[in-house]
Amino acid sequence: MISRFTPIVSKALLPALMAGLSLLPVTATAELEILDDSELSEIDGAGIGLVLENFMFSHGTDAADPNGEQARIFRIAGIQSSNGQEVDITVNHLYIAGSGSDYGNNLAPLNLGRLLNPFRIDVVDGDEIGITKKAVLEMAAPTMVDAAQGYDCLGGSAVAGSGTCSSRPATQDWQGERADMGMQMNVAVGDDRSANLNLHARSAVIDGSYLRLWGDDERRQMAGEFRLNFYSPELTINACSQDGSNCGSNIVMSDFVLQLALGNRLQPIYFDVDGSGNFLLEIDTIDAPGAGQIAANGQRAGSDAAIWDFYNDYYSKPEFRSNVHIGNFNVEAKNFGSARVEGMLIQHLQIQTKDLAQ
Amino acid sequence: MSRHPILSSAAAIVAGLLCGPFASAEMAPLDDAGMAEVSGRGGIYLSGDISINELGGPVQNDYFGRCDEGDKKCGARLAYQLKEGGGWMVLDEIRGKFAFEGLTLRVRSIDSGFGGDGELFNRDVIELGLPDTVRFSDVQFKLAASNTPRPTDPGFMQTDIFAIEMQGDVLMQGNLLVFPEGNP
Repeated sequence: MISRFTPIVSKALLPALMAGLSLLPVTATAELEILDDSELSEIDGAGIGLVLENFMFSHGTDAADPNGEQARIFRIAGIQSSNGQEVDITVNHLYIAGSGSDYGNNLAPLNLGRLLNPFRIDVVDGDEIGITKKAVLEMAAPTMVDAAQGYDCLGGSAVAGSGTCSSRPATQDWQGERADMGMQMNVAVGDDRSANLNLHARSAVIDGSYLRLWGDDERRQMAGEFRLNFYSPELTINACSQDGSNCGSNIVMSDFVLQLALGNRLQPIYFDVDGSGNFLLEIDTIDAPGAGQIAANGQRAGSDAAIWDFYNDYYSKPEFRSNVHIGNFNVEAKNFGSARVEGMLIQHLQIQTKDLAQ
Repeated sequence: MSRHPILSSAAAIVAGLLCGPFASAEMAPLDDAGMAEVSGRGGIYLSGDISINELGGPVQNDYFGRCDEGDKKCGARLAYQLKEGGGWMVLDEIRGKFAFEGLTLRVRSIDSGFGGDGELFNRDVIELGLPDTVRFSDVQFKLAASNTPRPTDPGFMQTDIFAIEMQGDVLMQGNLLVFPEGNP
């Protein structure tokens, strides 16, 4: 029976099925149209905004109990001193918490990033940031804002319009977006465990920092641009042991500002690992202009305009330069006053790890 | 050739049934008021532990090997090449156990709080609630640079930059809020 009816079934059912199915894509064809290249180039996907709310992080190493057991261990190892001894860094405490933590003794939550200006991961159009014809992966902290809306980066005032930082200091009503962070370490070289090193930053802000990564066609290599802004009203370095005893001198840097620029769109930083397995970080020397491209008097008139603009950008852009400001430098009771290093332009850099064991 | 009458009507019924689920009566668009009633409450609460090559597996003997033998590897390895034909950045010997209680995932509508930002923001976010503590057992990894992706490749050389070891309760409190940002 079935075999006798099969051709009829196929003839009768198929057109009906096709008719039924053909009803489905009617709406789809209307919605899905092919985009041409010019339309595609206009598309810019939204990035991801990240905010940490009521955040707190703490880890460390506990003193050994009578049985020699430690409940918490946090260790950095695998480093060797220049004479081949193992260097073992025991991290006694690493913390990120709200302002007023009293050097990590009194942890409270804070927010990192603002809903209206969050941390961001995004693929941006390179044409908009001077890296032409590239899609650039950008990881960025909250951006700097207009001085009319921003807050003083070094803490003092929580009044809008006092500075250019977006993250707000803590007030009585709001925990703020500025972190107390610190790391207390015991550094052991061989069997010598006497060295302690503790770093604490109070009410720190990293607004305006970013890391941009893209691929370099010519070198076929990962290229990048790294900007680190770090502001803290008080950065402390000391050599106290975990229980607070055996303290050496306390170095206090008040109103500390670091604006570090590693690589830029004209001189990117390149990452590589060489043939013997050593990590290599490189900023190439910028090419000198060709003969006659810049006029003898250095003026734009008489020079190749595009080349002149390129070098003018290179020399004049403040975002290509690194700065360090220390409001006041104190070692114990001695006051060394303020220090400023401004306008450093890294023209060439090559950093390479070397394995002493090899 | 004449069409079989029963089959023709059967075909019509089958076609009708196929089209049925897509009929307009079923797919009425929701208007704004209707949409306003829809809520994505609930969410997910996760607890558990993840163990990555913690001990190197259930059998350790002379035949299958042990983690401390020089030519055996227990940890996971993640290698990333930074330049065509160049060497590899490596996260090596990733091992350990992470145990957590109370990782939550939900959609949250924010229209207040955040020191006044919430009211201006007035949108939905994905909220990942961090567990208050994460218990690390023998968690370790190593950052290294290597000339080949695998340690078994010929001519393998590797420079270990540093290694991290973590154990015990790590305090990790708060919520990670994730939302689209920028101009789509």
